Amino acid sequence: MNLLYATLGLIALYIYVSFASLLWEGIDRKLVARMQRRVGPPLLQPFYDFLKLMSKESIIPKHANKFYELAPVLALAVSIALLAYTPMGFAPLFATKGDVIVFIYLLTLIGFIRVLGAISSGSPYAQIGAQREMIILVSREVPMMLALFTILWRLNNIGVEKPFSLAAFYQRNIWELGTPLALIGTFILLVVFLAWLASEIEVGFFDIPEAETEVAEGPMAEYSGRHLALFELSNAIKMFVSASLVVAIFFPWGISAYVGLNGILALVVDVLFHTIKVFAVLFVSMSIFRAITGRLRITQAVQVFWLRLFPAAIIGSLILAIDLLGVIA
Amino acid sequence: MNGKIEYWVKIPIGPIHPALEEPEKFIITLDGERIINVDVKLGYNLRGLEWIAIRRNWIQVLYLAERICGICSFSHNHTYARAVEEMAGIEVPERAEYIRVIIGELERIHSHLLNLGVVAHTIGYDTVLHLSWLARERVMDILEDIGGNRVNYAGNMIGGVRRDIKDRHKRAILDMIQYYRQEVMPKVEEIFLYDPTVEARLRDSGVIPKRIAIEYSAQGPTARGSGIKKDVRYNEKLGVYPDLGVKPVTPKEFTGVVKGDVFDRMVVRVGEIWNSMEIIERALDQMPEGKIKAFPKDNLILVKLKKAEGEGIGRYEAPRGELIHYVRAEKGKDGPAKWKMREPTFPNLFAVARALVGEQLADVPVAIASIDPCLSCTDRVAVIDANTGKRRILTEVDLLKESIKKTKEINPNIKARPERIGIGRCML
Repeated sequence: MNLLYATLGLIALYIYVSFASLLWEGIDRKLVARMQRRVGPPLLQPFYDFLKLMSKESIIPKHANKFYELAPVLALAVSIALLAYTPMGFAPLFATKGDVIVFIYLLTLIGFIRVLGAISSGSPYAQIGAQREMIILVSREVPMMLALFTILWRLNNIGVEKPFSLAAFYQRNIWELGTPLALIGTFILLVVFLAWLASEIEVGFFDIPEAETEVAEGPMAEYSGRHLALFELSNAIKMFVSASLVVAIFFPWGISAYVGLNGILALVVDVLFHTIKVFAVLFVSMSIFRAITGRLRITQAVQVFWLRLFPAAIIGSLILAIDLLGVIA
Repeated sequence: MNGKIEYWVKIPIGPIHPALEEPEKFIITLDGERIINVDVKLGYNLRGLEWIAIRRNWIQVLYLAERICGICSFSHNHTYARAVEEMAGIEVPERAEYIRVIIGELERIHSHLLNLGVVAHTIGYDTVLHLSWLARERVMDILEDIGGNRVNYAGNMIGGVRRDIKDRHKRAILDMIQYYRQEVMPKVEEIFLYDPTVEARLRDSGVIPKRIAIEYSAQGPTARGSGIKKDVRYNEKLGVYPDLGVKPVTPKEFTGVVKGDVFDRMVVRVGEIWNSMEIIERALDQMPEGKIKAFPKDNLILVKLKKAEGEGIGRYEAPRGELIHYVRAEKGKDGPAKWKMREPTFPNLFAVARALVGEQLADVPVAIASIDPCLSCTDRVAVIDANTGKRRILTEVDLLKESIKKTKEINPNIKARPERIGIGRCML
């Protein structure tokens, strides 16, 4: 692979995704405000927030250790690295066999770094928040991984170029199996993924680690100034990336092929169309979910994952497997 | 982490915390997410009201009483007026009693809607907060129309009320009740009785069993949520309330069970809004014509009260629970010789702190919000310097001097002498 092309592409993606994800946060705040009969902040409020935080003094707690300052930088670095493996309307930059494992690990690593930073700050609120983040982290990954691997395994069976890679979603898509059983199974897995997405960006039911009224923003309790700004940006990118995964699995269709474009223009059109799809997924999983639900207790959230979503993922996977084996149909 | 390893961690909720509207402190000892001890610290909001009151005259204390708390501002001066009336044996005209009932119940509606929103906010359900506070605007508009202000509407006077309810207000109130019946209450009931999130979070959290509610002398919706039929308006046959169909609302009428948890307290509040609307309708219907004040002029009250001697107790069911005001008069003194109030938050706070042991950390904000704490009412004692143990009293002139010194630092051109300002000799 051409190294220069990859580096430039990564930088371009980073700049674009930063803008798009912060813009979505503004749109989301405005939409939720309208649902709640409020006026809401200006559309560009997240940008103003980010710039203001960057210009402000960052207060470091007396008992914080070095990792406290390192964590925001690492979190942002990991989210940028994640962009290289994210499908953005075309196959990821570093698409290889099995890159989905790297993707999941990097996604989890951001949460893990947040936890480490929170524990380093020495604040009791941050520690409680970190505990909650860890608990929900281990609960939410299991149903999502099961669903993701099932879909990849199923796609494998109809033949793709790079098995177990995120690029596979753009060669074949799960809806083209077409049989009724497969449609049901895929739909169940879609629900699992939407719930996972809501938990990944911590809204509605799953706003537990950062519960403002309980633990005062949890892991972020002590962060301020530039450090907080970096965390906010990395969270925004993580939100976009997680939604991109859902879009890539369930709604991978491009638009450039139909319009008959090619070259760089097709790339741009595909990225823009992908962004619109991401916004649509986030609208369901973030804005509506945030407006119509409250926060659960941590025990209830764990129960939702292990007793509802995990069985749902198993059932969805079994249905897909039965469809392949042809036992019923 | 250095030092001895402990299996518990202490979390301070407060004095300033996003879950709390007012400064109070709960030191919570946690084992994981489970609470093993709750320690309540009060006294961050001392204003020395009783001290101020004995330097004012009877009518000025009325306005002071109103400013104890913004949300139940009518309840406080109503209770105080009742205490003074009982002490001096003043007869209140019947129309005035009806107007007191109407304003008091309007206040109950707005207070309960506020608390429903606050509880929803503490469980992260901000949509309910915004919608219930939006609904609350309507009743506040009515209160503004009647009293002139949204919050401190200064309705009461010793021996009656200051403002009449005119036909215009009557129509507006009936419109408002229709709006609440049709638009607001079905939605509120749907959310607080049937919504899965609300049920998951509020059921079985912050349980105050009936026995503990009695032991800790819980008041208001907190007590009624635990199944105690305790309502001053009903038990004491207060004023004209017995004619108006007032009843203590318990969750049993709505859900069939009484558990004494946060959910039950919210159900009681929803039921009381319904009950208040019925009371207002009946009161508007039965309200007789006549005068609204026992005394045509305010100075006549002062003349009568200057001769009075003795003590009086006023009781009223504020939205949060029972209020008791005690006043003692000495002959020849313009104002109260002693004024003491007892608010519902104080016993409720300790009842809920007791109930929180064994629950999860996530339940703390919602359980505290569910008793509708009003710390402005509760904090009122003592001037003791914690460092030296000394008691220091600043006189009015000292405070004025300090204030002028501070003002001069900001703007040296101001010319002022430390002298008493305000009305009469009673102003601080």
